[in-house]
Amino acid sequence: MLAALHSLVRRRFQAVTAVAGISFEVMPGEVVGFLGPNGAGKTTTLKMLSGLLHPTSGEVSVLGYTPWKREKAFLRQITLVMGQRNQLIWDIPAIDSFELNRAIYRIPPAEYRRTLDELTDLLELGPLLRKPVRNLSLGERMKCEIAAALLHRPRVLFLDEPTIGLDVTMQRRIRSFIAEYNRRYQATVLLTSHYMADVEALCRRVIVIHQGSLLYDGDLNTLTQRFSTHKTIMVQLKEERTADLRAYGEVVAYNDGQVTLRVPKSETASITERLLADLPIADLTVEDPPIEEVIEHVFAQPANGMEATP
Amino acid sequence: MTYLRLLWLFFRVGAMNELAYRANFFVQLFRSFLGLVTGLAGLAVVFSHTDTLGGWRPDELLALLGIYFLVGGLINLVIQPSMERLMEDVRRGTLDFTLTKPEDAQVLISAREVAIWKLVDLALGLGVLVVALVRLAAQVGLGQVLAFTLALLAGGAIVYSFWLILATVSFWFVRVENILVIFQSMYEAGRWPVGIYPPWLRITLTFLVPVAFATTVPAEALVGRLTVQTLLGAVGLALALLAVSRWFWTVGIRHYSGASA
Amino acid sequence: MTALLDIYRAHFKTTIASQLQYRAALVIWLIGMVLEPLIYLVVWTTVARSSGGQVGGYTPQDFAAYFIVFMLVNHATFTWIMWEYEYRIRQGTFSAMLLRPIHPIHSDIADNLSYKLLTLSVMLPTAIALSLAFRPAFHLVPWAVLAFIPALVLAFLVRFLMEWALALAAFWTTRVNAINQMYFVALLFLSGQIAPLSLLPAPIQAIGTALPFRWMVAFPVELLLGRLQPEEALIGFAAQVIWLIVALALVHVIWRAGVRRYSAVGS
Repeated sequence: MLAALHSLVRRRFQAVTAVAGISFEVMPGEVVGFLGPNGAGKTTTLKMLSGLLHPTSGEVSVLGYTPWKREKAFLRQITLVMGQRNQLIWDIPAIDSFELNRAIYRIPPAEYRRTLDELTDLLELGPLLRKPVRNLSLGERMKCEIAAALLHRPRVLFLDEPTIGLDVTMQRRIRSFIAEYNRRYQATVLLTSHYMADVEALCRRVIVIHQGSLLYDGDLNTLTQRFSTHKTIMVQLKEERTADLRAYGEVVAYNDGQVTLRVPKSETASITERLLADLPIADLTVEDPPIEEVIEHVFAQPANGMEATP
Repeated sequence: MTYLRLLWLFFRVGAMNELAYRANFFVQLFRSFLGLVTGLAGLAVVFSHTDTLGGWRPDELLALLGIYFLVGGLINLVIQPSMERLMEDVRRGTLDFTLTKPEDAQVLISAREVAIWKLVDLALGLGVLVVALVRLAAQVGLGQVLAFTLALLAGGAIVYSFWLILATVSFWFVRVENILVIFQSMYEAGRWPVGIYPPWLRITLTFLVPVAFATTVPAEALVGRLTVQTLLGAVGLALALLAVSRWFWTVGIRHYSGASA
Repeated sequence: MTALLDIYRAHFKTTIASQLQYRAALVIWLIGMVLEPLIYLVVWTTVARSSGGQVGGYTPQDFAAYFIVFMLVNHATFTWIMWEYEYRIRQGTFSAMLLRPIHPIHSDIADNLSYKLLTLSVMLPTAIALSLAFRPAFHLVPWAVLAFIPALVLAFLVRFLMEWALALAAFWTTRVNAINQMYFVALLFLSGQIAPLSLLPAPIQAIGTALPFRWMVAFPVELLLGRLQPEEALIGFAAQVIWLIVALALVHVIWRAGVRRYSAVGS
């Protein structure tokens, strides 16, 4: 109690750098995924791109505009969807919120009808539109949110964790919608997520952000190659063997003669040789570890301690 | 006596929680001070044009103002935050946590939340009251002080029961979130002696929304305007309302069902 | 321009639909709006009756007229925008407004007006009921009644813009309460809420004339009740216009600074 009273008269502040030294370029029509753990700076980056935040230094240009100037012409061509936040008005049917957006974005009535029909079709919104938003399930609400965000056919989509909290079927639905939308309208999509499945399904290009710095920018597959330090060897034995397989590497799984070993990347060749020489092997495959594992491994390191393995 | 122990516990927890937000103290101090200045200025403007208001003299109205802040502070200290918390729990279905505790639920919900900074209001109200008493010294004797204490206790019980009844209504009508605002809006009328209001308003402020019992009745007791009948009536009403609110509370609990996820 | 009207119309529809869901809450909020002038009505009529039938040129019936009209004008001009912004910034819902290609003040004005449209259905009957109970005396003067309309519109604009600018203080501190409280106290006394301004001590009246509060509420009321000479009315309009310009400038400057600040700090 005394300590609590004491704090009445003292104050402390701390400055936090959210994002530092991030540079990248995105071409029209690309779908780029931002990967990073919580607090990495993904959302901050999206907010800078949509004009909600302005950077302390550096340049941002989207569609030729400086986002934080918030020019109307700019705002009419972008959209930001945030998984945790709603722009739909809670107590009234979604269609009424759509009407409001129509007016705000000055969408001509005919075009509005057409877009609305297409979105209703793609997202299966039919019965949902007339129910008050608070009566919709989380997944239904998300679909309506996304539709509301796309009524004005923006050229650039910023999607911040769009599938968070949704069940697997709905996640897949939304993923395929985004892919289709990108295909149909050549819209540029920047997507943040911590579901690997989102990124794997949608993004050919991945930007990894960790502790506010850009760690990697490129292909998803190359990511694995660059950052993984281990490989997985799957061995199918011709017959049961009591030999201690731990001598070859970390045994991840073992059942019915099927062994999965985890070995350091640099020793893959030599260990494979030894296995083939020592054991009766029916089949042997060498694989990269699952992407999740690689990413996890990446995030577990402090940002400047990262080194790409040759 | 467990009740007192529980009350003290809640008070301590509430205090420790709030002390982390030192700025709130100054906010409250400023706010209360402004409220006080407003009240005093209002009285000053009125009494620049007259000597009495409905038979009440300036110092008597000063005492009323002090009681207004004092009782208001008490209400906002414990009753209001706890009842608001109760309504929120009902809305979110989290009342279950309280109902499974091994203490009487009504006691628990009644004093759970303590807005400790409202003690400032209480202190200011007390200060004003003391100043008024000093100026009224001649007409305030032991009898009045005793009557005042009794009236204050009765008033407190009546107000508490009223708030509890209002909050219990939320068991049935979950979406009337600001039902508690009814009392707070009407409490404004307690700054002035209820006797000056037209009959229909006076009755409303006495029997519908018991603001009169919170401020005017204790004030009347203090300055010697209270009849014994009224005092006994207040005490009787207090006891009756305590019983009614308790009964209504048990009905509400029975009706309560946790909101589905 | 038509696009703007379109936006307002769309807003009206959604806000009214949304607020109708909370009918009971709306009525409860109105209790405070009605009770305050009612309390002072009673207080001052009591004073008048015990002071030989009138105080400062107001009989009990005059007081009734004053406070009933005041209630309506106050209701027409009030806002809750300060609490709104504090809430929005705390909850992070403000970002969505920043992403729209339209200045957020428009949706705020639309919200405000549609609320008043809705609640008029309660306020008007209440005013009538109060009139029946307290028998107000109206000394209406034709030119003054006509002048009332523009005075009311100007009063609304001045008050809305001022309070909107004040609401933006939430960009700099979450502790907007102190500022709001001071504003409301000044408003309470100087806009004529506690008593007709002519009943306040002379120095206070002088301050009141220099500040905007009188022109936000009291002026249209005094005008409608026929208590102002034509010259005084002209001075009043001039004051309203001046404060309107000041308010517009304030809004412009504080908005720019506010957005700059918000986008530096984030939500």
